[in-house]
Amino acid sequence: MQASRARLFKEYKEVQREKSADPDIQLVCDDSNIFKWTALIKGPSETPFEGGVFQLAFSVPEQYPLQPPQVRFLTKIFHPNVHFKTGEICLDILKNAWSPAWTLQSVCRAIIALMAHPEPDSPLNCDSGNLLRSGDVRGYQSMARMYTRLAAMPKKG
Amino acid sequence: MQNKQAVLEDGQAAHVTDTHDWDNFVDDDIMQQKSAIHAEEAKKIPFLGDKEPISSLAAEYQSGSPILLEKIKVLDEQYAAIRRTRGDGNCFFRGFMFSYLEHILVSQDQAEVDRIQANIEKSRNALQSLGYADLTFEDFFALFIEQLEGVVQGKEGSISHEELVSRCRDPSVSDYVVMFFRFVTSAEIQKRSVFFEPFIMGLTNTTVEQFCKSSVEPMGEESDHVQITALSDALGVPIRVVYLDRSSCDNGGVSVNHHDFMPTASDLPNASVSAEKNNPFITLLYRPGHYDILYPK
Repeated sequence: MQASRARLFKEYKEVQREKSADPDIQLVCDDSNIFKWTALIKGPSETPFEGGVFQLAFSVPEQYPLQPPQVRFLTKIFHPNVHFKTGEICLDILKNAWSPAWTLQSVCRAIIALMAHPEPDSPLNCDSGNLLRSGDVRGYQSMARMYTRLAAMPKKG
Repeated sequence: MQNKQAVLEDGQAAHVTDTHDWDNFVDDDIMQQKSAIHAEEAKKIPFLGDKEPISSLAAEYQSGSPILLEKIKVLDEQYAAIRRTRGDGNCFFRGFMFSYLEHILVSQDQAEVDRIQANIEKSRNALQSLGYADLTFEDFFALFIEQLEGVVQGKEGSISHEELVSRCRDPSVSDYVVMFFRFVTSAEIQKRSVFFEPFIMGLTNTTVEQFCKSSVEPMGEESDHVQITALSDALGVPIRVVYLDRSSCDNGGVSVNHHDFMPTASDLPNASVSAEKNNPFITLLYRPGHYDILYPK
């Protein structure tokens, strides 16, 4: 508990210091609870998520950093490796390939990389995965773009 | 036209799975179930057991292979005791941790403490130059150095043998020290990637960096000769591994093989053995998939 708090505090200071270094990620710690974080990440360019801003919720366990944070999308996203209802993310570093060498910031970077490089063979969203697996890239992109517009972009007017 | 068709078909197919219960069965449940199984296992054997006679091994194989029972008899002649570690994938590192710290506690070898501290600093530099942020590994380094300084007697923070055993059983110390070794091992492999690459390719067909990310740094990933070689080289500590398996000798007799991992002296002038006649002070018993600690007679 003490160790995880100390580690998170170091990450917090690092995030404050490096704020401008990674303009695609805005990581914010809850005012009253250092185990709760949220992040706003920009959809990577040349993907159907371009132009969208996606919110992530982090719940950090007491055994952090020996155990991974739980991360999910709060913003609806159509992506093979993100559960369409719960926002849960299928990413090895959040499961068995986790190690303390990762930080909350680098987890955000890994999630942005996952958005650009979906892995349809281990889908949490089968509809999305099946589109890619059947080679229907256009179908996948138009669905993903539609949800980006609906859920991840500011409403016009 | 064809695209539209595909969307429709997949949409229908997926609709069936949508209403299924699997929808609510998420990875978090699987993770929780896994940690529950681990907690159950944890009750059976601590991270580190008590010293037991070698004969306690024989009890496990009473109805098993006669070759193993013969080999255990040979072991019994050469070794005084065994101390078991939990089979959670961290057993090699955990065995090394206790064996090393116990050796320092008993020998009070200050020269060895100074020597290993110099190697630890080299590992720290290696991680930094590989691009690891200090905050990701410094806590693990600090905790190991604290244990190392603790086993040196006659100081304010000195600890007893009993306290060392209890710390090695306490996850907040034990897991952090295991993680320290994982960082040191990973740094050594990446620093000498040209040397390690062929071994890693033979094992997993991945890049050196990928191997470190997936098979060295995560807790619970088992160690093989690549990790043992790297840790022994990085810290300059020789390790003897005694093999207990079903292989038998050509001449019909039974002997127990061992392999000594000796730090490569050319690369590491700081290695704790200058002459090869020196026996490693760390001896681990390997049974396929698991390492325990052995005490020579």
